[in-house]
Amino acid sequence: MAELADIANATIRQEIAEYLDRPVEIERNIALFARTRPLMQEIAVAVIEGDQVACDRLTRQALEEGVHALEIMDDGLIGGMGIVGIKFRENFIFVPEVLACARSMKAGMAHIEPILSAAGVEPVGTVVMGTVKGDLHDIGKNLCIMMLRGAGFSVIDLGVDTAPDQFIAAVEEHGAPLLGMSALLTTTMPNMGRTIEAFIDAGLRDDVKIMVGGAPVTQEFADDMGADGYGKDALACVALAKQLLGVAA
Amino acid sequence: MTASAPRPMTGRQRILAALRREPVDRTPVCNPTSVATVELMDLVDAPFPDANRNPELMARLAATGYTELGFDSVMPVFSIIQESSALGCKIQWEQKDNWPTVRMREPIWRDADDVRVPNDFLTHPDTRCVLDAIGILRRELGEEVAIIGKTMGPWSLGYHCFGVETFLLMSLDDPGRTKLCLDRLKEATIRFGLAQIEAGADALTLPDHATGDLVSGEYYERFLKDLHAEFAERLPIPLILHICGRTVDRMGYIAETGMAAFHFDSKNTPDESMEAVRDRIALVGNINNPETLYARDPEAVRAEVFKNLAAGVQLVGPECAIPLQTAIENLVEIPRAVREWHASHAHPHAG
Ligand code: B12
Ligand SMILES: [Zn+2]
Repeated sequence: MAELADIANATIRQEIAEYLDRPVEIERNIALFARTRPLMQEIAVAVIEGDQVACDRLTRQALEEGVHALEIMDDGLIGGMGIVGIKFRENFIFVPEVLACARSMKAGMAHIEPILSAAGVEPVGTVVMGTVKGDLHDIGKNLCIMMLRGAGFSVIDLGVDTAPDQFIAAVEEHGAPLLGMSALLTTTMPNMGRTIEAFIDAGLRDDVKIMVGGAPVTQEFADDMGADGYGKDALACVALAKQLLGVAA
Repeated sequence: MTASAPRPMTGRQRILAALRREPVDRTPVCNPTSVATVELMDLVDAPFPDANRNPELMARLAATGYTELGFDSVMPVFSIIQESSALGCKIQWEQKDNWPTVRMREPIWRDADDVRVPNDFLTHPDTRCVLDAIGILRRELGEEVAIIGKTMGPWSLGYHCFGVETFLLMSLDDPGRTKLCLDRLKEATIRFGLAQIEAGADALTLPDHATGDLVSGEYYERFLKDLHAEFAERLPIPLILHICGRTVDRMGYIAETGMAAFHFDSKNTPDESMEAVRDRIALVGNINNPETLYARDPEAVRAEVFKNLAAGVQLVGPECAIPLQTAIENLVEIPRAVREWHASHAHPHAG
């Protein structure tokens, strides 16, 4: 089994030692970074530090050196975002810092995406995400989207105040197998159930898995309204998406 | 407090004394944020969205906090968008069953140089409405009950005018420009606050959402502590800072601002919060909204009221704007529970 000392990059070693606490997560990250090239580790550090200039430069450099786009995405960008998600969940960093990390990831992805789509590389899965009708809270939903993209999903973001028929239209248009809804108000939470009913009425409920989240939502509420899953934070959202689509974690 | 409990006080006296952490005849029930509900709107025929835009309806709905619920204060500002509308933000006024909001997807400003409080800021219909409603409440309710106004802090106004994500990223990329924005925006906070004082407000809620769900406690210290102290100095009536979410890590700083009170959320327990502020500021709160007031029964409400009273929280009330579908039955339980508790505890908390 790999050990912390096997990781070349000192910053990554320090991040793991300082911020990770759960044995499975420590093990997973050590295994990942112990086998990746030093340049991929530097890209991960650029994501973790929210340094978009470095992320842009290092990604271009890696591509010029002939590293495969998929490797840069998985080992560099996604690897870095994995640590960011844990630090946010554990309150070591807050929303501004996560936004900056996502921005640097995006700077790297700007070079990767065209290559992957030209090569016909399929995303892990397609997810439609939106905040329900009457609700304008979107910070949590946006963080989920960043982490989903950070995990290799293609995400269609419907924004806020999304009516049931807009959810239906987007799922149909993109042939998305997974829908995620967010609500932060008790007044708008019932709109999740209404959207699920609209899918049933349209005869589409069996074609799509539906996950829900947002501060006032609970597992119990999710079960009551007939959702397929509930996630309490952005990392849980990614794990749930993988589970619902049968993708290996 | 002194051995002799003060003689019966009016709601207004009770609130103002508690905000000064002075003796009270019983703990006041206070709503620094909205207690409007659909049931109350129906009862007095003052529904949203009109009750947010018409001063008579606004005052009529606000008065129910006292006449129907038996709270010691009334609060006419049911939303957080009145002054943002006057600053030029686009507003989605919504229907009876939802609060109005700012369309933050269409930000009005991009940089500190764009920040400008318009000349008609206080004569705009949506700020004017609040001032007129306060005037009506003062005339109709007299000295019986405390009238609490609301003026938004610069951090929350920044969310509205720049968009939350843009504003939060700016705070990281360029703290200096962010401070400049806040410094320019504070004039809106102060001007609207002073106008409400002139209109007859007894105290002002000052929401400024630098919550632990979004930013660190160190952020509060860096960007807001001094500004909040300046508000306490320049607005000459008691101020109630409102920040929902997790805040216990920044309550020590908040306690040093000179504000009269802090309105705290149930994500922080009454005991740990009292411990954090150590009698340097009064606390108002913290009955849980979504799980207790909205979803449970009077019994559960009573238990939470007792927990606050036992911890010595100076003013009891809901943690934030209550969900619009909350049952009146649960709300009237708050003052009832406070009275019941005091009947079996001879000496109410002085501070
Ligand atoms: C920031 C904020 C705002 C901002 C919103 C900015 C924006 N663009 O989103 C502003 C200031 C504009 C705002 C406005 C209002 N707000 Co507000 N707001 C908050 C606050 C302080 C933080 C919410 C937040 O962003 N948290 C941080 C994020 C990261 O957490 P999160 O959203 O829960 O998301 C995480 C998880 O839930 C999960 N998740 C989220 N979505 C999904 C989806 C899926 C599929 C999955 C799996 C997981 C998942 O992952 C996320 C990341 O970890 C909360 C208080 C609180 N502490 O919760 C109140 C709060 C949500 N607001 C509240 C209220 C009442 C309002 C207003 C009505 C105020 C008013 N009186 O006008 C308006 C309503 C606007 C509207 N119509 O929607 C109440 C809601 C009460 C209720 N439950 O009904 C709260 C709870 C405050 C309180 N204590 O009462 N608000
Ligand atoms: Zn609040």
